[in-house]
Amino acid sequence: MRSRDELTPMQQDLLRELGNIGAGNATSALSTLLGDKRLDMVVPEVVVCSLPDTMGLVGGPEMVVVGIYITMSGDADGHIAFMLPKDSALSLVGILVGMPVEELDEMALSALQEVGNIVVASYLNALSDMTGLKLVPSVPALAVDMAGAVWGAILAGAQITEDFITVIKAAFQVDGTSLDALIMMIPEADYFERIFSILLGTEAGE
Amino acid sequence: MAKRVLVVDDTAFMRMSLRNVLEKNGYEVAGEAADGEEAVAKYQELKPDVVTMDITMPKKDGITAIKEILADDPGAKVVVCSAMGQKPMVIEALSAGAKDFLVKPFQPERVIEALNKVAG
Repeated sequence: MRSRDELTPMQQDLLRELGNIGAGNATSALSTLLGDKRLDMVVPEVVVCSLPDTMGLVGGPEMVVVGIYITMSGDADGHIAFMLPKDSALSLVGILVGMPVEELDEMALSALQEVGNIVVASYLNALSDMTGLKLVPSVPALAVDMAGAVWGAILAGAQITEDFITVIKAAFQVDGTSLDALIMMIPEADYFERIFSILLGTEAGE
Repeated sequence: MAKRVLVVDDTAFMRMSLRNVLEKNGYEVAGEAADGEEAVAKYQELKPDVVTMDITMPKKDGITAIKEILADDPGAKVVVCSAMGQKPMVIEALSAGAKDFLVKPFQPERVIEALNKVAG
């Protein structure tokens, strides 16, 4: 397993920049979805962090979250998760349907699944535009559980070869309501190598 | 007479949103399908004037469904409505026979504009 410290500063910078571009696209997508409501994104924090550190970013393993999980295939393989604390999820659905929502019923979960799908796809569209790689998202899976459990389920299905992932931590403001969300990119096999060699013209670890 | 639309999307929420947009603009939703397999079956059963088709779906994806629908009815009119706006995917959908490609999240006007052009 390769650790984050083995990445060059240039490589870390590139991963952060890809995260920023992805976050920008995801925000415009979310804004259109919310009926062109003004959506302010607090400058997203893009972190390249080690796996154990990610738990802290979602507010600890016991925080109840909604997790939407998508497998990426095509020219590169990976896993992407979109996670938001349950209260942010409720606010988001409330804005989508135009009335306060107090529980996550079937339609609310369906709405969140579609939000996750659109956010992740717009992130992949941006990545595809930059790299020329065809990146195909799977049908999204959705879980409402404690962050630790959701996280465990995702990692169980992934073949982790790196001890770091790219996490975009974003906070949105819509109509005075603030929403927190995380987009996590978990690379598989040679995903980062491909990205590095296409965009930096080098092999990772050089 | 109102044009009849078959709405295909794996999320109930998106089918509901599309239904709202279509019905507000004088279209009739002839039916809904939640995956590609159901889409092909419903198309044969309902013979709608136009289909809105998602791509990423369980069981059978939208591109395969488009090909099967067109093999059965070469005059079928399908508009893709997918979040996956990558160029290779758009080209694949259009060469499978889709008449237009809308990238989600869509603006309601764009959906109606595309349907008017295709179904009108």
